[in-house]
Amino acid sequence: MTMTELHALLPIIVIAGISVVLMVMTAFFRHQRLASLITYGGFIAAAVLVAGQTGSGPQQATPLLIMDEYSRFFSLVILVTSLAATMLAYDYLRRSDVFKEEYYILLSLAVLGAVVLVSSNHFAAFFIGIELMSVSLFAMVGYMVQGRTRRAVTLEASVKYMILSGVSSSFLLFGIALVYADFGVLSFSGLHSLLGLHSTSSYSQIGAAMIVVGLAFKLSWVPFHMWTPDVYEGAPVPVTAFLATVSKVSVFAIIVRFFIESGAFRLEALVQALVWIAVLSMLVGNGLALLQQNIKRLLAYSSIAHLGYLMVAFIAIAGSNLANTNLAVEATAFYLVAYIVMSLIAFGIITTLSSPERAEEAETLAHFRGLFWQKPGLATAMGLALLSLAGIPLTIGFVGKFYVFAAGVAGQLWLLVGVLIVGSALGLYYYLRLIMEMCKAPDTEPAISREETPLENRVVLSALGLVLLVIGIFPNGLITTVHAAVAVLR
Amino acid sequence: MSYGASLITHLWPLVLFLVLVIGLISLMLAGPYFLGSRRNARATGEPYECGIVPVGSAQYHVPIPFYLFAIFFVIFDLEAVFLFAWAVAVRETGWAGFIEALVFIVILLVALLYLWRLGALDWRTFRQKRDRASVLLR
Amino acid sequence: MQLVWIIVCLFAGGACAGIAGRISADASRWLSLATLVVAGLLGLSLLQPSLQDPSVLIAGSDAPQGQWLHLVQAIWIPHFGIQFLLAADGISVVLILLTLFLGFIALLSAWKEIQQRVGFFYFNLLWTLAGVVGIFAALDLFLFFVFWEVMLIPMFLIISIWGHEDRHYAAMKFFIYTQASSLLLLAAMLALVFIHWQQTDSLSFSWFDLLGLDLDPGLGMVLMLGFFIAFLVKLPGVPVHNWLPDAHTQAPTPGSVILAGILLKTGAYGLLRFIIPLFPDAAAQFTPVALTLGVISILYAAKLAFAQNDIKRLIAYTSISHMGFVLIGIFSWNAIALQGAIMQMVGHGLSSAGLFALAGALQHRLHTRALDAMGGLWSSLPRLAAVAMFFAIAALGLPGLGNFVGEFLVLLGTFQVHATTAVVSALAMVVAPIYALVLLQKGFFGPPSAALAGKVDTVADFGSRELLMMGAMMLGLVILGLFPRLVTVYLQPALAGLQQLGWGG
Repeated sequence: MTMTELHALLPIIVIAGISVVLMVMTAFFRHQRLASLITYGGFIAAAVLVAGQTGSGPQQATPLLIMDEYSRFFSLVILVTSLAATMLAYDYLRRSDVFKEEYYILLSLAVLGAVVLVSSNHFAAFFIGIELMSVSLFAMVGYMVQGRTRRAVTLEASVKYMILSGVSSSFLLFGIALVYADFGVLSFSGLHSLLGLHSTSSYSQIGAAMIVVGLAFKLSWVPFHMWTPDVYEGAPVPVTAFLATVSKVSVFAIIVRFFIESGAFRLEALVQALVWIAVLSMLVGNGLALLQQNIKRLLAYSSIAHLGYLMVAFIAIAGSNLANTNLAVEATAFYLVAYIVMSLIAFGIITTLSSPERAEEAETLAHFRGLFWQKPGLATAMGLALLSLAGIPLTIGFVGKFYVFAAGVAGQLWLLVGVLIVGSALGLYYYLRLIMEMCKAPDTEPAISREETPLENRVVLSALGLVLLVIGIFPNGLITTVHAAVAVLR
Repeated sequence: MSYGASLITHLWPLVLFLVLVIGLISLMLAGPYFLGSRRNARATGEPYECGIVPVGSAQYHVPIPFYLFAIFFVIFDLEAVFLFAWAVAVRETGWAGFIEALVFIVILLVALLYLWRLGALDWRTFRQKRDRASVLLR
Repeated sequence: MQLVWIIVCLFAGGACAGIAGRISADASRWLSLATLVVAGLLGLSLLQPSLQDPSVLIAGSDAPQGQWLHLVQAIWIPHFGIQFLLAADGISVVLILLTLFLGFIALLSAWKEIQQRVGFFYFNLLWTLAGVVGIFAALDLFLFFVFWEVMLIPMFLIISIWGHEDRHYAAMKFFIYTQASSLLLLAAMLALVFIHWQQTDSLSFSWFDLLGLDLDPGLGMVLMLGFFIAFLVKLPGVPVHNWLPDAHTQAPTPGSVILAGILLKTGAYGLLRFIIPLFPDAAAQFTPVALTLGVISILYAAKLAFAQNDIKRLIAYTSISHMGFVLIGIFSWNAIALQGAIMQMVGHGLSSAGLFALAGALQHRLHTRALDAMGGLWSSLPRLAAVAMFFAIAALGLPGLGNFVGEFLVLLGTFQVHATTAVVSALAMVVAPIYALVLLQKGFFGPPSAALAGKVDTVADFGSRELLMMGAMMLGLVILGLFPRLVTVYLQPALAGLQQLGWGG
């Protein structure tokens, strides 16, 4: 390994380092504040390193990992998201009576997995990244067991996530093995000239399909979405916030890279299947979200729908026109960022309103009734996030949806654009219902008896809210960044 | 000779073996059905036909250390696998390889340290720990 | 630049009023009033170029886009070719002034009625107005869409927080109807932009660039329908009018005033500004359908209005009926009918706002909207009843008042091109008096109803604030009816420009 490679890998090493340091520290000296500060510091340091390398051209570090603008962009997104998610979790953890420091260890390991995942252009790194992330995640989902009523839900969620994650990983592995059996290469670019030609045997076609199935589980595309609502509901909110953002975004980022670099878009049957998966995701996600009374479940179904919207842009990449392709890849990257911002706010607010000391999560409509008049700041942020999820202008979600729309229209995917319209219209109802609930007159006995919003949460939530609005009104900066980031995918 | 044909010449013993194994197992499973006599006495359904009568349910909680034992085994077994792979190429990888292996082992050590401090190596049951504590207190 | 300042002023004023509401309700009220005064003055200054140099009002035959009195252009999102493009011709200026004027009316009618969460109410009110002004001025399709949506959310909140008993249902219905149809608008808009991109290799959302696009007839029809449905929902026309009676009935008085007075006009404006210029061929083909829908709207809604017992519901149906005239006026596409359509928009804006303000005043006093429970108010509330009489006969189209001018010009213009349509629509002149007079008869004449007995003497008649507000609208209607040229002088050059873009231009 050369020094330049080492330099390129430095952010990953830093993240790995903090997880080891945290482990040693936890072994001898438990201190939540210190652990959180180490984690923040590590993430910031890694982010600064990644940002410092931006613009220095692609750098293949070992055959497994590539550091180019695309992976740097998503590493940065993941690190910043994780930082925000950790900061939002601090107060929640402080008030709960579980082992707190382990959250930081597991979280930094999951982030390590996510960063490795988005930087991989080889099946080995791809699999290591995805597993590192999933294994840490199912520990995170399950280990904070508290309260009699929540215990069963949490454990069920954890076991469900573990088993389905394991099944999906084995699908993934089998798919990789089949592709390898056919071509004898494991790097994405090595597949480029092989996959999707007329001579492609059924082995690699089945292999590619199985890889997609494995990833579809992680991305909760319909019909592989069954675990999502249960896990979202069962996991403690800070973990749900992380699960909903980082794990989804990193897997989506890599599936885009995989499809473009390996030429899998040339497998027409697969693309056709993806179209139907997208249609189902949008309809089922939005349709079932209409029926939910539990906010976490509602957001789970809404995230299924949003992943469906993302697929519209994803499938548009398959279109032949070069300029369209770029537009579509940009659309996925932009929408992912938008999705992160709005989901983080929504889950961040549920985190802030929850009372772990009473093993109670703010997940019913009653928790939000009259919030606007009791905590106008939080309610405004939540309202913005919901409007953004619904795709109303002046928010980042609108620009994202506009981008996706543009990609779909440019790719002439009329079926998908039509379903996108229907899905968005359905989506309005449940987002607005929540907004309406917040605007109702408060109950005489407020469900939330918390007095002060902790400073950390206030800072993070206002920063995210500001990002949501500023990018919603002046999207140009992010568009330029995204444009530069996806230009390397060819 | 084509690739497919050579594959068949190479594989046919394996296929035969598989067929034989399946045949033998089916024979063993089906044989008693035809050969054995059938009686329906009170003790026929019990796990041990001649022995102690089992008490209670067969589904009981396996103590957690059992899983820990398994996990520890997996971790150290896996470590050995990696080190074997390194050992094969120890000269080619040189000092860089050595440092990498060292990092790997150190991380495992840290994990062990953490587990030790957490009490994962203390395999007594909850009750045993409590009794020991009360003995010490006395 | 005044256009930008008006919008900024309304947005900023709304935000300030919202914050001030946390300190005191009165601060918020006065602050909103001040904002509207400033915005109103800025709005009047929009007329300035024409006052300085009246020649700009003479139709320029060589200017295909009509005479633009104001134009503001800035780059917004270059990646998509999106500009911050605001422009106002005579039509826009007239409608913006109407918006600001009715903003005043809404503010005055809210003064006493809205007592809860006052700051947030004025925030929503001013933001709705800002969105509507933006719609009337935006010529970049993306910007238009942004304003189109921006006005929805505050309106939704106004209905769902301060509305009457069934407000949540009504607000949701209103929002889903309009939002779902506006997604169609977005898709059609994007498709149009991409066709332009394929043809010219440059991305642009500007109205000017998208004019005169060479569209495949089938595709052009589909895209035109995307636009048309969105605007028809807002107008509203049969068969997508269903949200309107609920929304109008459940909204608080200022909400109804804004909804009926201004929001409906955005749909008509969209038809006028976007559909026919952008899709002249498809629109020409579609004319028979649009005219039929218009006629059905006029007659069917008038018939339904006649059957209502809820006074606000009755007025809501008359709105649908009146907007049907606008629809046929626009699709007749000749100078007279178009002028009539806009005059009808202005006249209906004033008269329906007046009627809703009246209904609100009645509900505030009697705590009911049922016509059954009224009656005999003429003697106990003489001033209110006189005002009601005025607006009712304005709505039925009495010559000399604003609505008559609109309806007459529409019918005249339509008769030249589609005589049958004009003749059938003219039946409305028979139906309208029926519902207007039913309203008066049930509500104000005859003996007081049982529910009202004993209560009548305790309720107060109009005070000076309400008289001022009603008087202003009545004055507006009279001026519009007697001196329509004051308005049409602004419309003619703009319409002449627009007309060249449609068929037969």
